[in-house]
Amino acid sequence: MLKQILNKFLILNDVQAAIVIEENGEIIQSIKSGIVINEEIQNVIATIMLDSKKTAAQFGNASLSMVFIEFSDYFLILGPVMEEFYLVIIAKSTANIGQITYEMKKNQDAIVSLL
Amino acid sequence: MIDQLPEGKSIGWMQAPPQWIFTHTVRFIGVVRVVIQDGEGFILIKKGKPLMYFFKHGRIELRGHAALDYFNSHPTIEFNLCKYTPEEFAHALKICDVEENQPEPAEMQEQAPVAPAREEAAEEPAAELQEMSPAEHLPAELRETPEPEREIPGTPVPEIPVAAVPVKPVAAVTERVFVPQPAVLEDPDIKIIGQIKKLNGIVAISVFNDDRNILLMGDVEIEPLLKIARTMLATADKITPVLYWGSFVHMTLQIPEGNVIIAPYHENHLCILTTRTINIGHIRRILRDLQQDRSQGIRL
Repeated sequence: MLKQILNKFLILNDVQAAIVIEENGEIIQSIKSGIVINEEIQNVIATIMLDSKKTAAQFGNASLSMVFIEFSDYFLILGPVMEEFYLVIIAKSTANIGQITYEMKKNQDAIVSLL
Repeated sequence: MIDQLPEGKSIGWMQAPPQWIFTHTVRFIGVVRVVIQDGEGFILIKKGKPLMYFFKHGRIELRGHAALDYFNSHPTIEFNLCKYTPEEFAHALKICDVEENQPEPAEMQEQAPVAPAREEAAEEPAAELQEMSPAEHLPAELRETPEPEREIPGTPVPEIPVAAVPVKPVAAVTERVFVPQPAVLEDPDIKIIGQIKKLNGIVAISVFNDDRNILLMGDVEIEPLLKIARTMLATADKITPVLYWGSFVHMTLQIPEGNVIIAPYHENHLCILTTRTINIGHIRRILRDLQQDRSQGIRL
């Protein structure tokens, strides 16, 4: 079921991967196309999750809504779905970020119900 | 605003680090007119206490700590000390909408380098200055290459020992000493930053490097913001070498109150604080364009 939801992201133009991941770096479910999710990427995602959570806390203990890191070829969007679980989208820089974030919000409850 | 200020009695043009102004004006009441490239500004001072900072370049206006930060971002600045009579000073206060006896604005109190320096100078200013030759006040690089032709002969300085490098009025200066200023922004940069600041939803924008804030536009406390920006930069620095996704364009952290965005900018970095309603796509395009222009070697 989770895979079906993640597939909604993968069909978006230039999206390469959709991953539900735990804060400790453990991948709960992922779906990808044309990209390898290796240990290095897992570590990168874990670093972003932990660092960003700490950074957001510097704003008077604010909760983290989303992190967006862009490079010249790819970008990564990470959003919390529930306590220690995050949804991560990796896409080419040509992908439509507005569409991706819209789908993230739209499918959050469905993902939570499956965790 | 600058044009409305009383002219005052010019004591002379000088070139010195901005901090010099605060440590050498403990008996001065008047305005310090600052000229940086094509922009001009002023610091209204009463006996070493800065009451207002202002700088204008084209349509960009900096006030308070933003203007002070910009002054401080230059190793040396060129300025004219203009002494006011009590009447002129009262008029200037009115124009600046500042009360004479009001405590320093909170934004000015944040400027740690200013207050301690002023307090130290207030203890024994005259004696300390009289014991030192004018050359001892100069920055080392200027002491080594004195420019006697820049002195204004016979300029009486009854209340303020002119210890900085006196220079001729701007109109009369034919040669300028260019001190290397690696962290100083060029005019087009300031224009670009100003344009970004004007976009809907931008609360503040800062240009910073590893050591300090170089330019700030917007009414925020810079230190807490820079602390967050540097934490984000550390995260980006950790992951960039691991990923082969091209050059780093930006990192955006979204919290319920808004967004913090960091991005490379020449040899420095940008930090942008926005409201939640900002059009991220628009900002993203601007940041990408800035990087593309940079990689193509076009000077912004």
